[in-house]
Amino acid sequence: MPPASNTALLQGTLDVLILKALALEPMHGLGISRRIAQVTRDTFLVKPGSLFPALHRMEEAGWISSQWGESENNRRAKYYELTRAGRRRLKEEVDEWSRIVAAMASALELS
Amino acid sequence: MALWRKVKAVWWNLSHRRAVEADLDAEIDSYRQMLEDEKIRAGADPVAARREALIEVGGVTQVKESVREVRAGAGMDSVTAELRQSFRGLRRNPTLAVLGVLMLALGMGSSTVVFSVFHAALLRPLPFREMGRLVELSETRLSRGIDQCSFTEANFWDVRAQNRSFEETAAYLYNEANLTGVGEAQKVSASFVTAGFFRTLGVAPVLGRDFTYEDDRNGWENHVVILGHRFWRNHLGADPAVLGKSLRLDDRVYTVVGVLPPGEPWINDQIYMPLGYHAGANRSSWEFGAVARLRPGASRESAGADLERIAAGLAQAYPKDDRGIGFRITPSTSWVATDNTRRALWVLLGAVGFLLLIACLNIANLLLARGTARQREIAVRMALGATRARLVRFVMMESLLLSGFGAALGLALAFGALRAIRVAEIPGVPRLADAGVNPWVLGFAAVVAILTGVFSGIAPALQAPAAGIAGTLREGDRQAGNRRHGRLRAVLVTGEVALSFALLVGAGLLIRSFMQLTSVNLGFHTEHRLVFSVNMPRAYWEKEVGKQFLDRFFERLAGAPDVLAAGAVSNRPVEGGNPGMGIDCAMGSTRRAPWASWRIVTPGYFRAVGLPLLRGRIFDENDRPVWGERGKPDPARRVLISERLAKLLFPNEDAVGRHVALWKSQSNLDAEVVGVVADSRERGPAAAPSLTVYLPYGANALVSEFVLQTRGNPLAAAAAVRSIVASLDPNLPVADMRSFDEVVHRAVAPQQFNALLLAVFSGLALLLATTGIYGVLSYATTRRTPEIALRVALGASAGSILRMTVGQGMRPALVGIALGGVGAWWLSRYMTTLLFGVKPFDHATYAAVAGLLLATALAACYWPGRRAMRTDAAVALRAE
Repeated sequence: MPPASNTALLQGTLDVLILKALALEPMHGLGISRRIAQVTRDTFLVKPGSLFPALHRMEEAGWISSQWGESENNRRAKYYELTRAGRRRLKEEVDEWSRIVAAMASALELS
Repeated sequence: MALWRKVKAVWWNLSHRRAVEADLDAEIDSYRQMLEDEKIRAGADPVAARREALIEVGGVTQVKESVREVRAGAGMDSVTAELRQSFRGLRRNPTLAVLGVLMLALGMGSSTVVFSVFHAALLRPLPFREMGRLVELSETRLSRGIDQCSFTEANFWDVRAQNRSFEETAAYLYNEANLTGVGEAQKVSASFVTAGFFRTLGVAPVLGRDFTYEDDRNGWENHVVILGHRFWRNHLGADPAVLGKSLRLDDRVYTVVGVLPPGEPWINDQIYMPLGYHAGANRSSWEFGAVARLRPGASRESAGADLERIAAGLAQAYPKDDRGIGFRITPSTSWVATDNTRRALWVLLGAVGFLLLIACLNIANLLLARGTARQREIAVRMALGATRARLVRFVMMESLLLSGFGAALGLALAFGALRAIRVAEIPGVPRLADAGVNPWVLGFAAVVAILTGVFSGIAPALQAPAAGIAGTLREGDRQAGNRRHGRLRAVLVTGEVALSFALLVGAGLLIRSFMQLTSVNLGFHTEHRLVFSVNMPRAYWEKEVGKQFLDRFFERLAGAPDVLAAGAVSNRPVEGGNPGMGIDCAMGSTRRAPWASWRIVTPGYFRAVGLPLLRGRIFDENDRPVWGERGKPDPARRVLISERLAKLLFPNEDAVGRHVALWKSQSNLDAEVVGVVADSRERGPAAAPSLTVYLPYGANALVSEFVLQTRGNPLAAAAAVRSIVASLDPNLPVADMRSFDEVVHRAVAPQQFNALLLAVFSGLALLLATTGIYGVLSYATTRRTPEIALRVALGASAGSILRMTVGQGMRPALVGIALGGVGAWWLSRYMTTLLFGVKPFDHATYAAVAGLLLATALAACYWPGRRAMRTDAAVALRAE
């Protein structure tokens, strides 16, 4: 069976989290994973089995680009950064999410 | 932009696969490294850190696999990879590959051959405009039991003038003429057609002009001709300046005014002359074919009603000739193939469909067997993250690959077979010369290949390791779930046997029909006999020219060495036309007059053709034609009749010396019966013996079909015949020269073709079914070796082991035979019209087929059974 299924992650959530994580600075895979855990207060733990496919998919979609560099501890690591298309995508996704959040919030309050 | 990027990504991924993979490896490895560093920094000892990092990354192969899945071009990439893998798999298992490809090649080759014949005969349209509106017209006299006959000339002109349903109506009259002045004298087809004939068909000349109504009005004396394309090519070297040139036909000069476009041989291998309208058109002799083109919007039904109205008018206006007249409309689709040919081709197509199905079942069986053996491999693949869809695709790929190779080989086989069939030139199978590998046939083969691949791959692809991944991977857990596959394979074998049964029954019925057909008593004798025709031009019908020619010809033939007997007849048996007349005993009875064929013969004909005289005498030189000569008193008419006709007309007395009325209710000629001859099958072996009246030849009753009885090989006399004819008149062509045996052989050639093809197909089916039975039982026996060994150890006798295994193998075969019997019984009704002298449910055929299948199945079961019987208990149990 496919490994470590991330059912906890809502469909599409992972993309926006990765884009958001990369919005500040270029990062390598582990860095992205740690950043997401940190900003979501360990709600989302992204495992390599989900992370790498997402990164490669987004790179092919042209939202992020990658290049090899040195890590803080002098390890060779592959760094990802947002492209222009990626920033546009992030903005769209954020808008979309705010709308969903607002809609969900009002729905849940009313019920 | 997005598309471009995608294309670029696909290209990059596929062309730099190694670099891309190395990059991914490095990335995942660096991830793990950093994770390890992190853990060491947090205080873990290096060994523990390393282990924890590995666990956290998860299965590296699985991560990589899931990245590969999302990569652009992943589908294509994996397809090529799988193709390579399947290819390797097949190479590792050459027996399966070779067997599978061979089986499929046989199935596909057969179906390609049949489809190509089918396509040429039935699917490829005739080169006429809007075939749907093109119909054939014929007269009927339903009250006299005649449901289709030719038109009389006068009735045709009336229908043409009075109908409101047809755009154009045209008549034609088949005719032959002697072409002289272009090489050797030869007989050619030179039909008469009315002016609208080509317009009705929707064919326009490529050179010159069509006939005009002006040509028709001038009557029979208008000497212009239009050439068929093939005639123009073969006889005139496709001369582009042929228009205005003249041709000498039957010693008259005709001017060429047009050339038809290329197309069907039967329309293009001849020349056409205007039929011409003439006022005193005949209303009593049925000679003309008629075609018509429906007006746009008119249906065959409405046209039928229109013709009924005309028929009623004609019956009233001409009660003598047209009493009970009706008309019949036949669609033009029947022009290429008769109903029976059509039926036969459908049967053949169905047969190859069955054969292909059997091949599919067999492939499925082979793949299933291998799939069972490969359960561990499949389980490992699943454990490594292969999805269900990918596994299905993987197995399918294999069957598709097999069917692809099978199709390629099958096409090559079909190509060779079609060439052989074309060379054989089987008469009676329409347009066989056009049957070849064309784009349609290639398309058919491609579609069949894909369907075959998918169909034979379904069952194997859907078999998952039944015991689950863990169970399958555990050593020694081999037995679980295999029983289900075994059952599935037995079902497949049952299907194969049932389909083979149906095919074998079809072949058996056709073979028996063919045997009946060739052993039927024809009445006449065909061995050591030569037939040929000498077509006499119009000048021969004047005075005594033709008669003198005949008498001198026979005189010379009598002197020729190796010629034992010679005679001539107006219509060649089997191949010739079949003119008929109403006939009755002279004491005008009131019943409906029997319809009998009539033939003009020379006195020597009966001996030459081997038809024995039963009573009375044969004609002699004093017997004159039944048609009196102008200006002379009516002759004393004498005729011979066939035995069945004699029994019918004079049931309780000797017919010799009695009088009959010829052309009853038309010209009513009185004639005396001077002899009775044996019955003959004038219309070929498949038709019942004819009721026949023989009339004496004479100056105004010439005959042109000759029969010689020879010593030894009949064709050896051919040269002598030609030189005698040439010495009598160099302008007389000798045509259609054959041995009489060949004439009969040609008549049954289509039946032979069908029987032969079906026999080949069912033979292949039997072979496939046998391998199927053998394969399944052989596998099952191997699997049961430990059990059998145990039985042997516990004292089971060799005989009981053999009985047990063979019994197990025979079960699916027996069920298949039972099902096949029912299916064949249900299907064989569609063959009724193709059979001769055999009932569709012919017990002997069914019993023989069942016996044959039983014997083959037993043989296929015997070898695995014997192996089981010889199981060495000690060895087998130790291995366990």
